[in-house]
Amino acid sequence: MHEYAFFLGCIAPNRYPGCEAASIKTSEKVGIKLLPLEGASCCPAPGAFGSIDLNIWYAMAARNVVLAEQMDRDIALICNGCYKSIYEVNHILKHNDELRDGVNEVLKEIDMEYKGSIDVWHLAELYYDPKICGVDKIRESVTRPLSDTKIAVHYGCHLMKPRKERHFGDTDHPMWIEELVAALGAEPVQYRNKMQCCGAGGGVRGFDLEHSLDITNEKMINLQEVGADALTEVCPFCQLQYDRGQIEIEEKFGIKYGLPVLHYNELLGLAQGMSPDELALDLHAVDVTPFLEKIL
Amino acid sequence: MAMEKNYGNPSLEAKLKDRYYYSDDTNRDFTKEVEKIGRTIAHMCYQCGTCTGSCPSAPRSSYRIRLFMRRAVLGLEDEALTDPDLWLCTTCYSCTDRCPRDIAPTDVIMAMRNLAARRDIVPRNFLKTVQAIYTTGHGVPNNDVNRAARVKLGLEAEPPTTHGFPEYIEGIKAIIDHYGLKDRADKILSEGE
Repeated sequence: MHEYAFFLGCIAPNRYPGCEAASIKTSEKVGIKLLPLEGASCCPAPGAFGSIDLNIWYAMAARNVVLAEQMDRDIALICNGCYKSIYEVNHILKHNDELRDGVNEVLKEIDMEYKGSIDVWHLAELYYDPKICGVDKIRESVTRPLSDTKIAVHYGCHLMKPRKERHFGDTDHPMWIEELVAALGAEPVQYRNKMQCCGAGGGVRGFDLEHSLDITNEKMINLQEVGADALTEVCPFCQLQYDRGQIEIEEKFGIKYGLPVLHYNELLGLAQGMSPDELALDLHAVDVTPFLEKIL
Repeated sequence: MAMEKNYGNPSLEAKLKDRYYYSDDTNRDFTKEVEKIGRTIAHMCYQCGTCTGSCPSAPRSSYRIRLFMRRAVLGLEDEALTDPDLWLCTTCYSCTDRCPRDIAPTDVIMAMRNLAARRDIVPRNFLKTVQAIYTTGHGVPNNDVNRAARVKLGLEAEPPTTHGFPEYIEGIKAIIDHYGLKDRADKILSEGE
């Protein structure tokens, strides 16, 4: 069993608790144990916080990393926004003495010290990593294959970009999450401009909702084109933007898509035999029933 | 013998040696400050426009990342920091991945936003997130509907974060107060009302 400190973030535990429940249960079946990271806060939101003062962003994110250092466990998380904050700040502070000293000066006030002793991972990359889990193990854990479904993947921005500060390689046509989707028995589908942003990041969703929804709408048009049964992502904030965004698009632009949006862990939960109730799929703004009817 | 570049005209040479653009509204320190905060080599930009071509915000607004790159290079501080388009970047980092000069235009935007924030130019939603994190530790806090759903799932009503362990909020307040950000956020938000 590989053990990780599970960094929750905000949107998964406070808007899509099914994501949190699914992550804990599904990962356990493939040999990953997620331990609660007590006292963790918002990552903090890289768009909102980083835009105001990057130094506070470094310090706040470092505080969350230190909590995991005290547990002596690497962090695993399920949100790209959190990945941007926690992974990137950990990465920057490990390599930049000046910034690390600045952060530690602030953390000293609350009796903490950033040491740089742990690493930060997205749960999806742990699933894909054959040393930890691997696609085969995911496939073996499936008890209810999602046969005859076409599923599109949204990677999200902050997991893999900027490429220089990550380790994923190709950010134009990645296929590794598609492999994870195919392992569930579903057919992953490609669509136009797959790597485009969902439109929510950088504080734009709060600053100019219509602008942000217009970006989402472009993605929805491209998704509709290929007839996907569901969209999967690995970021609850992207999920919120697609899920609630579809309702907002209907209100503001009068276009209805009705495309179910599921976090990869929710999808994995379904494939491992969890019921929709165990995943709180009723909290999704877009009705997931058409997709469930295909697989149940 | 090494040849030195030479035009045989001392005044022309002095002029060419000075890389700065002069006008009443330029501030050459602006470029340096943007580069320091953004940790990127903004002055290397040769205006190819790959960034704007990669930008999901460009087709639906007047926001042009290439324009902001030019402003960074020329030191057009006021023009950059007071332009509301500054806040339309979704920080998707497509431009950063594609920049042939290995610059991170996204981080140039982040640096400019930091500098604008020092002048109290910040959209209200950004400051409200700060307030929410200051009081609860979360930018998106829990609510009753969600608490009920969590209990039904077999989870604790409050997640094991600052919600479940509110004693940790003091540490968060201390960090934010260290920079005096909460007071500034309150002040700016109350002035706008």
